[in-house]
Amino acid sequence: MSYKIPMGPYHPALEEPYKMDMICEGETICDVKLHIGFNFRGIEHLAETRNYIQVIALMERVCGICSNIHTLTLCQAMEQLTGLKPPPRALYIRVVMAELERLHSHVLWAGIAAKLMGFKTMFMTCFALREKVMDTLQAISGNRVNYSMNRIGGVNRDIEDPLALLSVIDQLEREMVRTVIPIFTTSTTAQSRCAGIGVLTREKAISCGVVGPTARASGLPQDIRRAAPYAAYSELEFDVPVQTDGDVRARLLVRALEIMESCRILRQALTKMPPGEIHVDDGKIVFTAGTAVSRVEAPRGEVMYSVSWKENSRNPSRVHVRTPTFANMPAIRWMALGARLADTPLIQASIDPCYSCTDR
Amino acid sequence: MTALESIPERLGIAEPWVEKNGVYWLRTGSLEVRELAKQMNALNARFVTITAYQLPGDEGFRLEYHWDLDGQLLGFPFFVSGNSIDSIYDLCEAADWIEREVHEGFALNFVGREYEPLLLRQDDTPGVNLREEVV
Repeated sequence: MSYKIPMGPYHPALEEPYKMDMICEGETICDVKLHIGFNFRGIEHLAETRNYIQVIALMERVCGICSNIHTLTLCQAMEQLTGLKPPPRALYIRVVMAELERLHSHVLWAGIAAKLMGFKTMFMTCFALREKVMDTLQAISGNRVNYSMNRIGGVNRDIEDPLALLSVIDQLEREMVRTVIPIFTTSTTAQSRCAGIGVLTREKAISCGVVGPTARASGLPQDIRRAAPYAAYSELEFDVPVQTDGDVRARLLVRALEIMESCRILRQALTKMPPGEIHVDDGKIVFTAGTAVSRVEAPRGEVMYSVSWKENSRNPSRVHVRTPTFANMPAIRWMALGARLADTPLIQASIDPCYSCTDR
Repeated sequence: MTALESIPERLGIAEPWVEKNGVYWLRTGSLEVRELAKQMNALNARFVTITAYQLPGDEGFRLEYHWDLDGQLLGFPFFVSGNSIDSIYDLCEAADWIEREVHEGFALNFVGREYEPLLLRQDDTPGVNLREEVV
């Protein structure tokens, strides 16, 4: 006999509201139905009522974790429509902000995953590490969540002493190598909760169109930073970690390895950062009518903005946001099929879902 | 011939790609969206999204379908004069949520599929969000 177990929209295992209706036979999940929209704010509609300065502040609030990525993608699209090109130093600062954001997002996710595994000391370790990254972001931008760093044609604030940040990167990398990665890869608790759990096959990953670490953990080596470099990524060396098992452990490993790669990128960006202006002196910004598309690699995967402008308008006529969780969430159904009910909190968390991004 | 270069021929389109800011655009003319989805599947292209725009006056809508082919973003604009276009959900499961979102935002109908609420909750009306005039 099968029965339905709802999880959410408000549930201790969920960081934000959404709902999974699970059809179970005994402890085994036979089907899953996902429901979103509990956070729907109509931001795309609101964007049409904001001018080109206000819309940056609005889109920064799409997500509380990758807020910088949203303004970066939006500004890149608006730069196509205005013809303004950010100076080289601004492009490096954008890389530094994006990678710090990736670091704090991945370390936060590691902490939440540890908590869902029942590994609370690791949760505390991860959050203590994340705090160092948050302090660095605050030192650069003055803010901990909405950094207000990006503007059309550059960035708002300079990093006055880039080399001073290297010690934080060293410290974070040392702690990852010494503590976090060994525990996640060798401890019995982590192995038994993650290995072979929530498998998304390569074929299903392709048909679902998943992105970011979720795709890379299923053997798809896609990364916008490599495939279509933006900001200063084309001048920096890094690897794209790929795992083939497609399970929760693979997604965990990909993110752990990406933390190391982010440290490598940050070290290069901070040492190679060219001197000069941080934004073009724009005077009056003039938009050409038309549509622009921009993509970046957020911590959870590809973000895409389509921005449209009408002649002589101060407001966008359309801003469409395709967030990574919007692409990744439907795949949870395939990850959960045949899994044990008790594993579903960790399985759904393994895509690092962001419901506020998804609902917008 | 690269996979990218082969696409216009596969789709029976005489005009070449137009590259603009890193996006390769192809005018679709009389091409059926389902035929496009089949060809993109055959090339193992990754479906990215559909972006809907309402055109001025009675001109209808422009739906831009995007696929990613080995890191290259492809764009295919389709013009919809009425309120409906064929669904590609059965050919491309990644299109499920975005078809539901466009349906809710613009009150457009994707023919050949059923809908469940996605972003709009109970008693909300499709089209009130992004469409200028609700039908």
